[in-house]
Amino acid sequence: MAKGMFVDTSICTGCKACQVACKEWNGLPGEPSHFHKVPNRPYPVAFNFTGNSYDNTGQLSATDWRHVRFIEQFNENRTEGRWFFSSDSCKHCTDAGCLNACPVKAIVRTDMGNVFVQQDVCIGCKYCIPSCPYGVINFSEKTGTVHKCTLCNDRIHNGLGTACAKACPTGSISFGEVSELKKKADARLSQLKGLGFTKANIYGYDEAGGLNVFYLFMDNPTVYGQPLNPIVPQRRLFKSAAITVVTAIAVAVAALISFRERGMKKETEK
Amino acid sequence: MISPETQAPHWEWYYIAMYFYIGGIAAGAYFIGSLLELLNRENLRSISKTAYYIAFPLICITPILLIADLGRPFRFWHLFFYTKDAAPYMNHTSPLSVGTWALLVFGGMSFLSFVNVLAEDGRLTSPGLKKFHVLFSRIPHKIYAAIGSFFGFFVAGYTGVLLNTTARPLWEATDPLVGSLFVASAASTGAAAIVLFMLNRKAGTSETFGRLEAFDRVAMIIEIALIAVMLVVAGKYAAPLLTGFYGVLFLGGTVLVGILIPLWLNWKGFKPGAAGGSMATLVAVLVLFGGLMLRISLVQAGQM
Repeated sequence: MAKGMFVDTSICTGCKACQVACKEWNGLPGEPSHFHKVPNRPYPVAFNFTGNSYDNTGQLSATDWRHVRFIEQFNENRTEGRWFFSSDSCKHCTDAGCLNACPVKAIVRTDMGNVFVQQDVCIGCKYCIPSCPYGVINFSEKTGTVHKCTLCNDRIHNGLGTACAKACPTGSISFGEVSELKKKADARLSQLKGLGFTKANIYGYDEAGGLNVFYLFMDNPTVYGQPLNPIVPQRRLFKSAAITVVTAIAVAVAALISFRERGMKKETEK
Repeated sequence: MISPETQAPHWEWYYIAMYFYIGGIAAGAYFIGSLLELLNRENLRSISKTAYYIAFPLICITPILLIADLGRPFRFWHLFFYTKDAAPYMNHTSPLSVGTWALLVFGGMSFLSFVNVLAEDGRLTSPGLKKFHVLFSRIPHKIYAAIGSFFGFFVAGYTGVLLNTTARPLWEATDPLVGSLFVASAASTGAAAIVLFMLNRKAGTSETFGRLEAFDRVAMIIEIALIAVMLVVAGKYAAPLLTGFYGVLFLGGTVLVGILIPLWLNWKGFKPGAAGGSMATLVAVLVLFGGLMLRISLVQAGQM
């Protein structure tokens, strides 16, 4: 029975309550302050801003397991515009690149389908980091291990929902049984299509074997920084290994020819 | 589609790229040595011996580099043993996991071959090692030479497959050719290391050098061909490898100084008269330099 989340970005207001709730529940440290004092200036100076709309972390990291994206779409003379918000996190892929890549079984899938990093097993090899097509998981110098969203592993195994879903004031993030959430998502999509939002789409039914945390987007997923049809890296492993073996055989044949017994002609020449 | 937002592991070049390089030389050298042993080429025995002398000490360096790059170095043994199941562990979908085991086997085989050549040269003084040598000499040398060269190839190639099996744009776009490229480079740098070592010890004959240079030439041709195909396959995603600092390392260091110039010198040196020692040294040094630049540029440019 896989648990997951459905993120309906059409009703997200970008309030970042989910970011705050995530940090509070999981005990994650805050970000550096956005204003600080500078010598000889009486007022605080703006500092550490991403410069990208209201985005305050820029990406997911070892201490930011949720990241609210702000997408501003304006025409040239700024008479018309749209502002999209999307709360992003680990998608808990059914075929998870990080889990496939982990050499020590630190990254495991629990009975509720969430992908979880066992902090006492992780050795900090960092191979899972480039293996995630979504750039979710990241390394902490402080602990020497990797961290990411656990789908509130402790909460969901004790009958609660995720902290972000609990905090969400508009119901944009909902937690539950994946099959139930899909019904909800399909109903919402057909409602939006009926209202004339033809570009609305659901992201995460097929990607990476199906995402347990999936999204309803109002525009192309790439607008929201999500890759179209990302390939789980390990699905390319066999081909890559096979080509390498072929090359190894070619090098071995080259060696056999280079080091073979030479004929009489060459021997006498010498 | 290649993902726009992936994160870099921030592997340090002096650990990971260096390991790819040193592991490659050891594996390439061991392969050449064991192949000659398998072919029974007694007149080229000096090459085999040199290869075994090089491979083991080099492969001893590599775990130090790998463990130093870990966030939790003292947990390195988790790679072999999963405490919660109390059982040995290998993840067959992770090149890193399989490669670690291959490195262990390769290390073992290269140690046996190393002790073997020490005994052959009468340098085995420790009584413990002598007893050990007598014990494992009951197994035909060829068996562990064969196992060792298989795992040697594995160690040389899996590092490239490891890079390809990620979602970083450069590494994904160059799939599936980096493993092949690293195998060719390992063969070429392995041969170069043997040449350099033999020249230093004045152990070689003109025939041994001729054979090694002939092999190195083929390996370099394979390598340059693979680089050309790789760049075509990667298209616009190859940009980090062709521009900026890593562009200089890759195009200048690897392609020009590390492959094209030694290939040209090697070709020229093969005209009757044969190249002198200084030319052979120069070619070997350039090839070894090119191999290092190849690893550094590919590993670091993929993390930009």
